[in-house]
Amino acid sequence: MQTVEPMTGKDHSSADDQSLVKAAQRGDMGAFEELVVRHRDKIYARAFSMMRNEEEAVDLYQEAWVKAWQRLKQFHGESSFGTWLTRIVINLCLDALRKQKRQRAESIEAMDQESGGVERHMPVITTNPTAGLERGELRKRIDEALNKLSHEHRTALILHEFEEMEYKEIAKTMGCSIGTVMSRLFYARRKMAVLLGDLKQQDLI
Amino acid sequence: MDNEAQLKLQAYLDGELPEAEAREVANWLARDRDAAALHNELKNTRQALVGHETGIQLPESREFFWSKLEREIQRAEPREAVANAVPWAARIRRFLMPVAGLAVLVVASMLTFNNSSTHVSEMETSDSGAFTYHDDAAGATLVWLSHPLESDPADEDDLDIE
Repeated sequence: MQTVEPMTGKDHSSADDQSLVKAAQRGDMGAFEELVVRHRDKIYARAFSMMRNEEEAVDLYQEAWVKAWQRLKQFHGESSFGTWLTRIVINLCLDALRKQKRQRAESIEAMDQESGGVERHMPVITTNPTAGLERGELRKRIDEALNKLSHEHRTALILHEFEEMEYKEIAKTMGCSIGTVMSRLFYARRKMAVLLGDLKQQDLI
Repeated sequence: MDNEAQLKLQAYLDGELPEAEAREVANWLARDRDAAALHNELKNTRQALVGHETGIQLPESREFFWSKLEREIQRAEPREAVANAVPWAARIRRFLMPVAGLAVLVVASMLTFNNSSTHVSEMETSDSGAFTYHDDAAGATLVWLSHPLESDPADEDDLDIE
């Protein structure tokens, strides 16, 4: 799959991201299209993993690319283009999740989830619930378990494990304290251990 | 084990502790079975997740998505241009406001001295919100000036004289 700039007939597929960004900053849509092709699945996966809803994820994914185009001149290569774009989509998802949270009534259960009330007292899972699983099966189980977490817990986990952010960076991204990040991450991991363990138990029955 | 100790254990696992504290936790893990069990559970969960994110793919073809995106970018660009133009329009409007007010006063004065056939004259500018009233019999001229509501900058020069 390759993108060709219609005006110049230029093939962008062999150019690196940095050159494509520079060309796109000069208004070359063909270069931008090549960047879209290269990063489409990773950026969409991030939107979907946070929103857990295909329609919302597609909308936010598109919004992220529009914003990227509009702000391209502000990108000076401090990070990779992929990282910069991932931050844009994460921020858009967080904004959308905050709006959703404001709209729905705060239940006692949700408040308990935020403070990790139940997980604090859960017994430790001594066996590894994912041992011996094939890659595809493991991914499926992780996806099912992630689906059952609150968005705060899921986001902390995604940013730490998938985006490899440090506590400080997660706190900045999520707009909370480092202590809150540590709590969310702890309860998210504990709940994941239980959920993955439950899925294994279901298989044995 | 209290919550603070649990979080410290996790910070150790994530490599977020300073060296001295990390050594303390390592010693603690060596002698506390509960702490070691929790540490092991957290480690298993982390290992299960890292590198195993579901390979989710965009449910739209490359061509379809790009054509949608291209349209959206083109639609957003004029909006951006208008948004950027607004501060200039506002600045021009702020500059024109006192000029328009002064012009109204001049015209009102001219009408006051030249118009002898009518006893009463009124004049209004639609954009600045200025309004004058003159009564020959009373020998009085009143001028009201108020800040205009948001209006199209293109209408700034339309004077509506009644």
